[in-house]
Amino acid sequence: MQMPHIAGKRAGEWLSPLFTAISTAPSTQDTFEQLARLTTGYTPNPEQEQQEPGYYDYPVLKKPFWDWEIIWYFFMGGLAAGCYIIATIAALFGSEQDRVVRRTGYYLSLLALLPCPALLIKDLGRPERFLNMLRIYKFRSPMSVGVWGLLSFSLFSGLTAAIQAARDGLLGRWWGARLLASLPQKLLAIPGGFASAFLGGYTGVLLTATSIPLWSRSKLLGGIFITSAVSTSSALISLVLRLVGAPAKTLHKLERLEWVAMLVEMVGLLAFLRQSGRAARPLVGTGPDEHGHTFWRFMFGGGLVLPWLLQTSALLGRKNKKNTTGGLLISLLVLVGGYFLRYCIIKAGHSSSKDAHTTLWNARK
Amino acid sequence: MAVVENTQQSLGSRFAETPVQTSLELLGEMLKPFRKEEPPPPQPAMGFFTDTSICIGCKACEVACKQWNQLPATTPFWSGTSYDNTRGLGATTWRHVQFIEQIGRGPSAPATSPAPDGQRPNLPLLDRQIKEAQSNGTIPQTPPGTALPFFNSERWLMSSDVCKHCVNAPCHEACPTGAIIRTEFDTVYVQQDICNGCGYCTLACPFGVIARDDEGDRLAHKCTLCYDRLKDGLEPACAKACPTKSIQFGEVEVLKERARARVGELHARGVSEARLYGVDDNILDGGLNSFFLLLDRPEVYNLPENPPRPSLNVAPASFWTVVAASLLGLIGIILFRKE
Repeated sequence: MQMPHIAGKRAGEWLSPLFTAISTAPSTQDTFEQLARLTTGYTPNPEQEQQEPGYYDYPVLKKPFWDWEIIWYFFMGGLAAGCYIIATIAALFGSEQDRVVRRTGYYLSLLALLPCPALLIKDLGRPERFLNMLRIYKFRSPMSVGVWGLLSFSLFSGLTAAIQAARDGLLGRWWGARLLASLPQKLLAIPGGFASAFLGGYTGVLLTATSIPLWSRSKLLGGIFITSAVSTSSALISLVLRLVGAPAKTLHKLERLEWVAMLVEMVGLLAFLRQSGRAARPLVGTGPDEHGHTFWRFMFGGGLVLPWLLQTSALLGRKNKKNTTGGLLISLLVLVGGYFLRYCIIKAGHSSSKDAHTTLWNARK
Repeated sequence: MAVVENTQQSLGSRFAETPVQTSLELLGEMLKPFRKEEPPPPQPAMGFFTDTSICIGCKACEVACKQWNQLPATTPFWSGTSYDNTRGLGATTWRHVQFIEQIGRGPSAPATSPAPDGQRPNLPLLDRQIKEAQSNGTIPQTPPGTALPFFNSERWLMSSDVCKHCVNAPCHEACPTGAIIRTEFDTVYVQQDICNGCGYCTLACPFGVIARDDEGDRLAHKCTLCYDRLKDGLEPACAKACPTKSIQFGEVEVLKERARARVGELHARGVSEARLYGVDDNILDGGLNSFFLLLDRPEVYNLPENPPRPSLNVAPASFWTVVAASLLGLIGIILFRKE
């Protein structure tokens, strides 16, 4: 079974009896396997797969070395992008009351963005050469376009948050702060919004433009990542707003946006699994080196369907009644699900690269 | 003497300059990696033709490659998979000899299957035996274990794998630093002073060739087609070392002609399963500059039959991203506008 590395080894050890108990229950195993077959439309046939030609089952592809740095970058980058989009929409189209969304969104966006460059640079073979990324601009390479996109988004995110801070009086009353406060934040937010949408989605395109069957067979990963960016960000903003206190109407808007984003994400993921077929096995299957247990439990089940159902019932049963605990729970579940989406996709990509038979199947005419 | 004078002069002139000039010069030095150099005049495209039908599995190419390119040895490992303990190409292994044992292949063996056009294979040395067999209706007996290769369906395929130097190389398309270039010989080459080890090329390569050296300098490495030797008019080390001319080096177009002739010859001799990989099949929308003659399906050699081109995924993936972003943006606007 796959152990999710949430809180280091010690927590894993502490939790392991629990995980083992859940995963060894025959009913869950069967349920997950049934779900995998149903969603991918592929029933594994190990005997037939072994009959397929290959070379001693040695992998055809190289194994990705992307690990926790990239998982966290995808997650934090998604949050930075989503918070900026929501804050911009609230600033341009929202009411007076929604100003709190704009403020929180711009601050959270910058906060989530701060670790991103460090995570990316750490992941390079030679971090001191990271500036070589800026030697060229290459439209065909999502990595090159992504670096430039991240750079321009950082500029917008930093500037917008600085203007917000100046207007909120956080920077004092000297001439620099007054100058910042007088800059046209809404005007800057329009190109910034496009840059943030780019950042939230390009990571999926980056994975799609590889030879790894799981990542590249369906072309929907970019759409799923941007959708997850919006759902996790609305969860994060409403989480913070619930804690600091915000108008019920504003929270209601965020909740509905979150609900729609989760619905789109569900549809997108199901379409992704169906299109990927056999290539999606490492993500949803329950065999050895497959990540279905983590995926169904923490991502699709606990991180998407469950909070969506809770949100549905909360939205239907709402009579101007504040349910803070329930709202906090939904937000937390969505955030955990968003993290595990990236976790499962990356980890299952490693498994996918090792599966020579599926790689060769993916490359057939 | 003249050299020394020259150096002194240049040193002297350097110190005589004003600080402004010196700093400008320094700036020029710093911007050097950003300057586009004049490319060398283009040469005819060069490549490999690896004819696996005459590979004897001696691994001279592996050794020659390691020696010429000063590649470190990998940790010894008994794989248990025939004579292949190298197992694959990697950052410090740019030639890799595969050993494919085909035991008990069944009735589809070459000796029992007719040539593609229904003709009996043209084997002049055996004419007498064939006539004899036809007249008395029996095939001459051979003692067990001593069957000639063409009466025996069991075989041992050997193949020297290498970078394919694709015409549309996915690693080249993916590289975000411009470290991977096409040389004047139309080969794909990694500039080690530019690469920063992001590793995106290793995920793009559909053949699993290019790799990051995580035990060494943490940069991407692969076959250079001996760029340094080519510059001096020499052939690559592996082709030079190959004792059976299984590895042939030359102009791509000449080699392709030779490959087509060779596969035609093999077909005429009844080796109907011989085929070319990377010559006329338009792999990755342009073929390979380093191509192979195989004796079985490409997948038997761990070669993808028709790998998708990763860079062609950018457009559809971006399209769906834009669709999702527009949809959510629109819904967000509607939700925030409604009071």
